[in-house]
Parts: sequence; C-alpha cells; structure tokens
Amino acid sequence: MSEVSSNYFVAAATIAAKLDYATKVAQRLSLTASNARALTLRAGQSAAGFRPLTDAIHRLSDITVSSSKKINAIAAVLSSMAVEKYRADSALAYFDAVYLQAEGSKYIGSLSDVYERTKVKQKELMVQYQKKIQQLTQELEAVEGELRSAVVLKVLCQIEASQAGLAYQDALNNVAENVESIAETIKEQIVFSRQQVAILQ
Amino acid sequence: MKAEKLYENDDHAWIVFGRDEDKPDLIIDTNQYMVTSKNNAMLMDPGGIELFSAMLSAVIKEVPAQKITHLFASHQDPDIISSLGLWDLALTNATLHAPWLWEGFIRHFGMQNIKYDGIPDEGGRLMLDDVGLEFIPAHYLHSSGNHNVYDPKAKILMSGDIGAALEEPGGSLFVENFDEHVGKMKMFHQRWMPSNRAKNDWVRRVRELDIEMMCPQHGRIFRGKDVKRFLDWFESLEVGLTKGKF
Repeated sequence: MSEVSSNYFVAAATIAAKLDYATKVAQRLSLTASNARALTLRAGQSAAGFRPLTDAIHRLSDITVSSSKKINAIAAVLSSMAVEKYRADSALAYFDAVYLQAEGSKYIGSLSDVYERTKVKQKELMVQYQKKIQQLTQELEAVEGELRSAVVLKVLCQIEASQAGLAYQDALNNVAENVESIAETIKEQIVFSRQQVAILQ
Repeated sequence: MKAEKLYENDDHAWIVFGRDEDKPDLIIDTNQYMVTSKNNAMLMDPGGIELFSAMLSAVIKEVPAQKITHLFASHQDPDIISSLGLWDLALTNATLHAPWLWEGFIRHFGMQNIKYDGIPDEGGRLMLDDVGLEFIPAHYLHSSGNHNVYDPKAKILMSGDIGAALEEPGGSLFVENFDEHVGKMKMFHQRWMPSNRAKNDWVRRVRELDIEMMCPQHGRIFRGKDVKRFLDWFESLEVGLTKGKF
C-alpha cells in the first residue's frame, strides 16, 4: 500500500486518485455480475439458486461505482480547495514577513485591507473545507459498510455453487472469489483514503 | 532590498529595487522597477516568489499597496513574474500588461483577480495618469514574445534582459566602467539571445529613441554615453552561441 502523505493538499489529490481507481475496480464487479447472470442462464435449473445472487452483485456494483464516483468528485473539490487554502496560508505568511520587514514604513497601513481580506478568505475556505471533509468521511463510511456485504455474498455464492451441477461449480466458485477479491481491492482504497482524511483534518 | 529613485519630476517618478541582501544565494539577482504617477503606479518585472516579501516591503515604503494598479511582465520567465499568484492576492485592482503570446502560460502562476492585458506583437501604449509609456517590441531578446518599456519624458528604457549582466552580489547599480562591464554581459547575451536578425532590428529601432538611462532586469543600469556604447557593442556581437561553438 502507498505511503500516507503528510501534506494536506497532496493527501486530497491522493484520495481523488484512489477513488478514481476504486471506480474502475467497481466497474469490474459489474462485469462479474453480468458474467454470473449469463452463467446461471446457461446452467438453467441446476443453478437456479444463484440467480438472485447475481442481482445482489449488480446492486453492490452499482452502489460502489456511484459512491466511488461521488467520493472522487468530493475529493477533487477538496484537492482544489486545499490548494486555494495553501495559497491563502502562504500569502498570509508572506504578509506577516512584510509586517516585520517594513515595520514603521510610511504605507504599511495600506496592507491592512488586503491582510484582512485574505484572512477572511482563509477562514471561509476553512469552513467550506471542514464541511467537505465531513461529507467525504460520511461517504467513505457508507461505502465501507456496503462492502461488508461482499463477504456474506461470497459465502452465499459458494453455498449455491456447491448445489449447482458439476459442470458449473468451478465457474460459479470463481464468481464468488471475484466478488470477494474485487470488494477487498476497493476496500483497500477506502481504508487508505480514510487514513488520508486524518491528514486533511 | 535597496530602492533608489532614478528620475523624479512633477508628474512621475522611476524607482529601481534590487541588490537584496537577503536573497537566497542560488537564485539570480534581479532589478525590479516602478513608475509612480499621481494616482497610479506600475511595477515592472516584479520578480519571483522568493523575492515577494522583500519587494512588497520595499514598495510600501514608497507607495500604498492600493496605488499599484498596473504590473508589467516583459516575458514569461519565473524570475520576471512567478510572484504573480501572491500579487494577485495583494492587489485589489490591477492589470497585468504582458505579451499576448504568454497569457496562457503566465496564468499558470495564479491569477484570479488581476486582469490580463495582452500586448500585441507590434507594441502599445499605456497612460499612467498623464504619463505616456510605450511598450517597445523586443521579441527573441531573449523570449519569443518580449517587450521593453520606454518613457519618452524621463528618457528611460526598461530593457528587460537586454543589457543584463551576471555579477557578484553587492555591485553598483550603475555601469561605471563600460569596458570592464562587457565581460559580465557577453555570455548572457550570446547564450540567451537566439537571433542576430532580431537583435539588429531592435538596435536599429532603439537608436531612434532618446534615451538617458537603459535599465536591464539583471546587472547594472547604463547612463548617458554608455547607452550608445551598449548599442554599438550589442550590434557587433554575434548571438545564438553556446560557448562560441554553435
């Protein structure tokens, strides 16, 4: 797993990248569900119990894809806000240096408006930034919760596979393994992203 | 950061900022210029991010921040204008005049508040209250989109990288011995200036201007007869060379 970044605007960009990857992986889950459905149709009555499970895989895929896209969009906004915040923080640091270097200068007072405006902007950014982080945390928790169902789904798939005709058992077991492995990969991105959120706060 | 008045009359003044003692060692030394008129001021080639605090500190000793309503960038290099993202937060109502060619590039330095006024290839003119300033084309000297600023009343030409010299810290602001100064200019012009044709065309046009002071962005300012000496020297110099081999 990648190293957790200690820089907040890099952290936001990293989350966006991780969730972009998670979206692509989640789309593979959708493909797995479609393959499983085709398989159960071919297997007919011998894999009848598997058919409702393919709907559940599709549902998990849809939820994961849409959540990942949503989180990716939030992270992209956060990344841009983090850069804005960095610029405001940085400008204030430069202005502070000017106050020290130009102490007693004739026109030092002319900087007051600019300083106050940048300070206000920094505060506004901070409020919006915290709101976005909260939204991001909630979305990450929600998708993580959904992914827990993948373990149950895998077990159910394995049970139904064992009851299917011999010709289809391996293929159906493979679907079960795929569901778990894809869900695990997505979960890794989510867990890593949650660690990065700690840096953002 | 030192500040020195180069010219002053009833309606306007020219100030040079440079020789910053706190400048980090590995960045090239730069000269920044400002023209102030009754209600406005224009900063020319305001410099890089590293210089921003020192520059703003020096500037507000001369004029209030709100008076800086114009910036000029001769071209797109970082030592010219990479501080733009910070000036963008510091100035409430400013316009940046820079070659049209570089707008999409210069905006990468961060520009949400300052307006961009692209200078056409053939140059242009700006009125700063009652003071007329001319943008003189200096393309390929060294940048492919490049302008100087000429003030006919003060007889000052801000020449950007033309006339620049690389020298040790703490040197005088003015050329004192032209022949000695040549050694500090030669490599800069031969290596960074790519076109003899563009150079000779610029020399021809600039000879027609009445110039008392030629102010480059690096090195020393040329005064009086040293301006003509520079034009003669530059005209005879072959440029576009790497260690004299190409």
